[in-house]
Amino acid sequence: MSNIIDARGLSCPEPVLMAKNAIDNASIDLSKAKPIDEITVIVDNEASMENVSRFLTSKSFRVEVFSEGGDFKIIGKIDNSGAMSKPEPSNSNSEPSIKSSKKGSNSHKQKILVFVATDRVGFGDDELGKKLMISFLKTIKEMGDELWRLVFVNNGVKLTIEDSVVLEDLLEYEKAGLKIMVCGTCLTHFNLLDAKKVGETTNMLDIVTAMQLADKVITV
Amino acid sequence: MCGLPFPVDENVLIGIGTADDAGVYKISDELALIQTVDFFTPIVDDPFDFGLIAAANALSDVYAMGGVPKTAMNLVAFPLAKLGGAVLREVLLGGIEKLKESGTVLIGGHSIEDDEFKYGLSVTGFVHPKKILANQGLKVGDCLILTKPLGTGIINTAIKGGLASQSTIDMAVKIMATLNKYAAQVMTQFPITACTDITGFGLLGHLAEMISGTEIGIRIDSSLVQILPETVEFASMGLVPSGSHRNRKFRENMVELKSNISPVMRDILFDPQTSGGLLMGCPENQAENLVKRLIDNGVEESAIIGQVDENLKGIIRVE
Repeated sequence: MSNIIDARGLSCPEPVLMAKNAIDNASIDLSKAKPIDEITVIVDNEASMENVSRFLTSKSFRVEVFSEGGDFKIIGKIDNSGAMSKPEPSNSNSEPSIKSSKKGSNSHKQKILVFVATDRVGFGDDELGKKLMISFLKTIKEMGDELWRLVFVNNGVKLTIEDSVVLEDLLEYEKAGLKIMVCGTCLTHFNLLDAKKVGETTNMLDIVTAMQLADKVITV
Repeated sequence: MCGLPFPVDENVLIGIGTADDAGVYKISDELALIQTVDFFTPIVDDPFDFGLIAAANALSDVYAMGGVPKTAMNLVAFPLAKLGGAVLREVLLGGIEKLKESGTVLIGGHSIEDDEFKYGLSVTGFVHPKKILANQGLKVGDCLILTKPLGTGIINTAIKGGLASQSTIDMAVKIMATLNKYAAQVMTQFPITACTDITGFGLLGHLAEMISGTEIGIRIDSSLVQILPETVEFASMGLVPSGSHRNRKFRENMVELKSNISPVMRDILFDPQTSGGLLMGCPENQAENLVKRLIDNGVEESAIIGQVDENLKGIIRVE
């Protein structure tokens, strides 16, 4: 069901509370077939526009804003069907869909997990090895959206800290939707917990689970 | 207020022309008068708490100027028929309690009937004319120290919406009702270069005032800024007061946010505060000692949050 709320003339936090009430009431009202999956909120100031957009995003709505005269029309949609059929490698919220999609539907598109356990590639010359790692991480984007997880453990976590040469690249990947996982035990071991600037601090269970779900694991 | 024909007097040391916390008038070479006034509508449900907060907030401007409050007068606009005298009495009792704690005497006041309740005080204090702390005067290399956590504007918005838990309300009330007296006691023993208190313009707005029109800039490490519990959650839900958005629009050309600063953190740093902490500049070699002494004197949330940087001309960079 959908819902239209006219919150013009009201100031913060009223528009957010009206949207919240509409969503909350729908989800507890058993007489209604299903919770709100589309909601439109109209406001007349930018502050309310930003607040309502942020609120709907926090409730997993996909938000679009249209500016009309002095008013803003904020449309939030929960895209159930899309999340189920297409496994978005970029979106960790669509986790439940992964199992069903593993075999079948999108057979041409695989999920690749890259496991980086060092800050340099190969043995021999360490200087060369470090350069190769930089080059590897800058080139890895050529995998396109089949690149599904990037996992850093042991010395590899040093690539995620503030003075890492590839930090900008990793931040960009993350912004583009790649999920980057960084081993918390390793960060703690090197005393780098606060220095980490990209990715999600994670644990071995999450890493193992991700490996199991991946179609291909590449270890560096 | 631009363009109004204000009277001029050579004894006005700090007047309406600068964006300072209070006015200062020189009486002699040894003594100057600090005057300030502040009042607002209730921000919490409990009338006694509201009294505590309104008084702590009004007294704060005197402390921020490096002075000591001496006398105060009540300002009351009250809907007697709607709320009843008992509520007003509780509010005034709260105010008196904070005045007592600060060593200030109440010497009068004025009240009117009004549909919307408002309460506040005018406060007068003393300061030595050579020891006035203005909000400008920061030197290159100074560390910036903030003495209270941020988030009261966002939490007050959540209280309005009925979403704040009692423990968060209690915490916010405690912070807002805390006098800046204890921070000022320590501060006046250090070579402070500039000071202000954080109120309606939010942390970044007040920082902008401290460097506006100067050649210096400021680096802020957002991870060092103390934030009240639940503030991040409420801000993530969009419970951000419109004042925060206004503050940002007003000062965004002076603020540079690094890419790791989320919009939520940005809004917290611009969040208008009620009875916020003191924000002071101090030479780097004394800053850690100052923070230690503040904490020893009970100002436990004090922290160094940034530093004056000569390379960032007129810019506040948030990392």
